[in-house]
Amino acid sequence: MTALLEIRQLGKRFATRAGRAPSPWVIQDLSFSVAEGEFLTIVGPSGSGKSTLLNIIAQTDTATAGDVLFRGTPVTTRDPRALKPGLERRIGYVTQDDNLLPWRSTLDNVLFALEVQGTLDQASRARAMTLIHAVGLAGFEHYYPHELSGGMRKRTALIRTLVYDPPIILMDEPFAAVDAQTRTQLQADLLRLWDLGRKTVIFVTHDIAEAIALGDRALVLSKQPSCIAAEHMIPIPRPRNVSDIFALPGFAATYEKIRAAVQ
Amino acid sequence: MTDIPASMADVSGSGAGSRKLLIYGGRLALTLALIAGWEYGARTLGPLFFAPPLATAERLWALAISGQMLADILATLRVAVAGFAIAGIVGVILPFLLRRSARATEAIEPAVMFTMGIPKYALAPWLILWFGIGDMPKLVVVTLVVFYIVFITTFAGIRGVDRRLISMARVIGASERRISREIIWTSLLPFFFTGLKIAFPRAVSATIVGEFLVSTEGVGRYIEGARQVSDTTGVFAGVVIALALVLTINAILNAIERWALRWRPVERDMEL
Repeated sequence: MTALLEIRQLGKRFATRAGRAPSPWVIQDLSFSVAEGEFLTIVGPSGSGKSTLLNIIAQTDTATAGDVLFRGTPVTTRDPRALKPGLERRIGYVTQDDNLLPWRSTLDNVLFALEVQGTLDQASRARAMTLIHAVGLAGFEHYYPHELSGGMRKRTALIRTLVYDPPIILMDEPFAAVDAQTRTQLQADLLRLWDLGRKTVIFVTHDIAEAIALGDRALVLSKQPSCIAAEHMIPIPRPRNVSDIFALPGFAATYEKIRAAVQ
Repeated sequence: MTDIPASMADVSGSGAGSRKLLIYGGRLALTLALIAGWEYGARTLGPLFFAPPLATAERLWALAISGQMLADILATLRVAVAGFAIAGIVGVILPFLLRRSARATEAIEPAVMFTMGIPKYALAPWLILWFGIGDMPKLVVVTLVVFYIVFITTFAGIRGVDRRLISMARVIGASERRISREIIWTSLLPFFFTGLKIAFPRAVSATIVGEFLVSTEGVGRYIEGARQVSDTTGVFAGVVIALALVLTINAILNAIERWALRWRPVERDMEL
């Protein structure tokens, strides 16, 4: 069976500025693959090129070496002008910042994706409303982003991507900027939504506990130039209760193994 | 749920009413002080140097009922608004076109900045040579004056757009047209309105200066006619009309701006 997404010997270095030493490799010889319906978490120290990796997969940035294969077909390009961000709507990307449009209400931000894709109809609108209810945003449909709390903005950004149902969703530390309590709530929300559709998710984080709580499998990135330092299956059965994930059997051992691999 | 939406936490207190009262009271007091100073100036310096407020008011009334005021206002507005509109449209469209091509921007931007230095009013005699003494020379001056303001503010607005929003829209699958129309246009609206509010008084001023030089009608023509016969009251009345004109249009622009930017945090949150 071919993997849904495969990364082969990926390398990235940024353009060297005139008069400076050649810029170092941010990512080098990085390979992994993701299966259909898998929830993959990637743990790495800050500055390990996690965001760069997701930018390359989402095609908002070019790779310097290697290939990204989508269902077995190479989709990489070296030419920044030939990039196809979101690769024809098959790759959703939930970034660190919520990037909500400040002039659109919660509902209109969620509908934005459907509007630009020309798929806004009775059924998709109903789907948007279902998602809004599912993450507890009912009653806030007509609020502007600046009127929402950080956690609510994260939820809006999350369902804006879920609503158009891309086969792969990339998440770049989406819950890093919220307080611990809200984060646990958001993680639980995410797992509940994921359980409904079992989308393929690549979730990047620097938080080991988060990587274990959410993922089927966790990859550990090394420091720069980053490549895969370790791979761990998460032996904790689903559905999982995120709020007492620490107490579940298997957590402590996995945590120790990952922590040892993260330098 | 632990989340408390920001707007719920922000309880708008009863202080809002008294605050408004204070502002309007302050404005009224300032206006009265200005008129008192005006009256004092007229009494100490004489009506030739300082037309008294009452005489000015009487003149305004006379102009209003004779219909001359409306005719002059319409003549001035005709040129000011036409120039404002042409310059506004070109000044917005050009930066949007330049956005698509870094090379075209590099080629054109220096030329725009360079020609900005031309003293527009000094062109008037030359323009009269070309276009005669109709609306055209004034229109050209007004258009040039407004164009640079709108162009520069729009350009600054486009450069200030949050790149992350554009990147997000591209990933979702938005077309470049959609991005221009919604994300860039909406993001630069505050800049655009700032440009318009700076530009409109200048458009009126430019028209009036143009009318000093050559015209048979308009507020500027009236002021210049009064000046030639040492009719200081007429000059003051003309200036008051010009002022009222600018204030009225600015109020309209403000209302449009408030409507177009209704999604922004309310003024209370934006206080410095």
